[in-house]
Amino acid sequence: MAPLSLCINTQTPLIQFLRPLEGDRLDPASRDPTDLTTLREGVDYRFSPGGVTRMVYPLIRRLLREGVLSEAHWVALNPHAPPVVRLGATTLHNVAIDVERMAGYGKVKEAIWSRIHEIDATERHDDLFWTEAFAEYAYYNRTTAELIQTLDREHDFDVFYVHDFQQMPVGHMLGSLKPKIFRWHIPFDVATIPEQWRAMLTTYLDGYDVIVVSAERYADALQALHPRGKVLRLYPYLDPADYGQPSRATVNATSARLGLGPRDVVALVVGRMDPIKGQDLAIEAVATLAEEHPRLKLVLVGNGSFSGSSTGLGLSKSGAWRDRLESLVRERHLEGRVLFTGHLPQDDLDCLYERCRFTVLPSVKEGFGLVAVESWLHGRPTIVTDRAGIAELIRDGVNGLLFDPERPGDLAEKMRSLLEDRSGKLRARLARNGRTASRHCSLETAARAEEQMLAEVTEA
Amino acid sequence: MVGLATIWGWFAPYFPVVVIVVVTTVVAWVADLIIGRLMRQSTPQMARTARRLGVVVVAVIGGTLVLQAVGLNPTVILLVIGLLGVTVLVALREPLGNYGAKYFSDIYTPFKIGDTILVQGVSGKVIEINPMTTVLLSENDQLISVPNVALIRDVVINTSPQAWKEVAIPVSLGATVDLPTFESDLLKSLTKLRLRLDPRFPPVLTTKSRTAQSTDLVLTLMIRRPEDRDAITLEVNKRLAELLDRMRGGLR
Repeated sequence: MAPLSLCINTQTPLIQFLRPLEGDRLDPASRDPTDLTTLREGVDYRFSPGGVTRMVYPLIRRLLREGVLSEAHWVALNPHAPPVVRLGATTLHNVAIDVERMAGYGKVKEAIWSRIHEIDATERHDDLFWTEAFAEYAYYNRTTAELIQTLDREHDFDVFYVHDFQQMPVGHMLGSLKPKIFRWHIPFDVATIPEQWRAMLTTYLDGYDVIVVSAERYADALQALHPRGKVLRLYPYLDPADYGQPSRATVNATSARLGLGPRDVVALVVGRMDPIKGQDLAIEAVATLAEEHPRLKLVLVGNGSFSGSSTGLGLSKSGAWRDRLESLVRERHLEGRVLFTGHLPQDDLDCLYERCRFTVLPSVKEGFGLVAVESWLHGRPTIVTDRAGIAELIRDGVNGLLFDPERPGDLAEKMRSLLEDRSGKLRARLARNGRTASRHCSLETAARAEEQMLAEVTEA
Repeated sequence: MVGLATIWGWFAPYFPVVVIVVVTTVVAWVADLIIGRLMRQSTPQMARTARRLGVVVVAVIGGTLVLQAVGLNPTVILLVIGLLGVTVLVALREPLGNYGAKYFSDIYTPFKIGDTILVQGVSGKVIEINPMTTVLLSENDQLISVPNVALIRDVVINTSPQAWKEVAIPVSLGATVDLPTFESDLLKSLTKLRLRLDPRFPPVLTTKSRTAQSTDLVLTLMIRRPEDRDAITLEVNKRLAELLDRMRGGLR
């Protein structure tokens, strides 16, 4: 296969800018790339936390290194960034829209998110596609599609790879005959999709040659809604090389800095502050176990998403959720037993994975759940909600523990089984088998699958 | 030194011609504008054709006056052009008939590429509409070519599910129109008609082709009641015209 020219599109950008840049770097008319090597990481910019940095970027780098790709152009929503940024062989193109339109766009994407995740059963959003806010959602997607078309005229891309539901209309709007791939990252369950949305979703999904989802059950559901489409299941992935093992001294120092004593038994939850992430379930479970296990501490790592951050879209919902969790901690008299660390750099996170007894993925619903894979890579057992995509990789009691988030006490019971595993045999077995299972979600496995998919769509 | 009088002497014989050309250009521009306004609720093809026709009529009158001004008898020239036109029409009546039929079927025949139709006893999925024929793909994978003139002359049955619901309105945008803003404003405007449209099928704007000068799109609506079809088409065309009037550089 000849090296491909790829255009990738995500809502969340790879790079977030932490402060305004001087000169004309923010001039929307300027298409001169800003060279990222002239800026300082942590001062001028940072890599966005989450999937784009841990998953998509490593894949692009690898495919460029292996010669599968000749170049990559990455289009994302990034209102506080220079229009074009050069990052090695990858060029980042940033889309900006004004504040009023952003509000409308944010309203629609949150409504889709809530509906798919069944967050608020009272608010069905049946008429979403008829609202004025939807016109702004269309505006953002059309602006993105127009930029991609302009870039296509300059670079003659071989394939377009569009990520996540926020960008779903882009494929249809591109109107290009070239291959288009869409990756649907969130859960997919036909029952959660209102009747009034289905024709529109089908129209948008028709804009793609292949639709990629993160679990078999999502693939089945999507195929049922959209029988004409080609649907593939590819597990999300991480690069194990990114997960180092810090020294014992570093782990101890970091733990002390974060308020953990040497005898504390740590349960770790990593996820942004969002009701869907179910941190409240973990707090309730700790409340149940607090008296039996007085050394148990729950550590909640994470902040808002790109949408909620001040360097992102400013559509915050994380603050309210954190307030609610803190109030729950007070109600259950768990002050000092539950720690909120906010966002942590990867080195600190590595220390916490090493320090914890086990991790919990308590989400009410979860597209996949890569934090369970991170836990496996650090040799820690994990307790996972059965509503996560990764649940289909977990054999209960063999490589992890599954719980039902709607069954009161189920999570506490699973946590108890690990806390009372005096011999450590259960934890060792879960960790050992978990590491084996993590190979399904390694960059190595994914790169082969993605490469094959690119070959199929471009050479079909 | 050449005096002004001398220059005027050279120029004077041509002065009436220049005046006629200038006046013809202005009248053609005004005619184009007036016809465009009058046809704002028609389909874009109809409006475009009427405007073009208006400009051609003005140009022919202007050309005749120019011929008279330079001392030629336009009668003979017009006669020759007329005879040539009739000859061409007679010689090419079949292809021209098909071409004309395509023009009218584009506007008035309710089917599009992808629909399944039944015409002259043959049925198939429409896969191509070219200036001469409409190509159908039959269920047993045969290509069937139907002369466009048959689509105007004969009964055509669109057997696609819910074909009566679909209203496809072509839209052409000039290069200076910002497509995202146009689409956003159009969708907002159409929310006012939602009671007349099927709630399961919100309006969709699809790009059909694009050149440096213009972008051709199709707005697809699904109506609730068949009897609303004409009224909704008129109303949407009116809204499109108003929207494009507000956005400078819009073409219809």
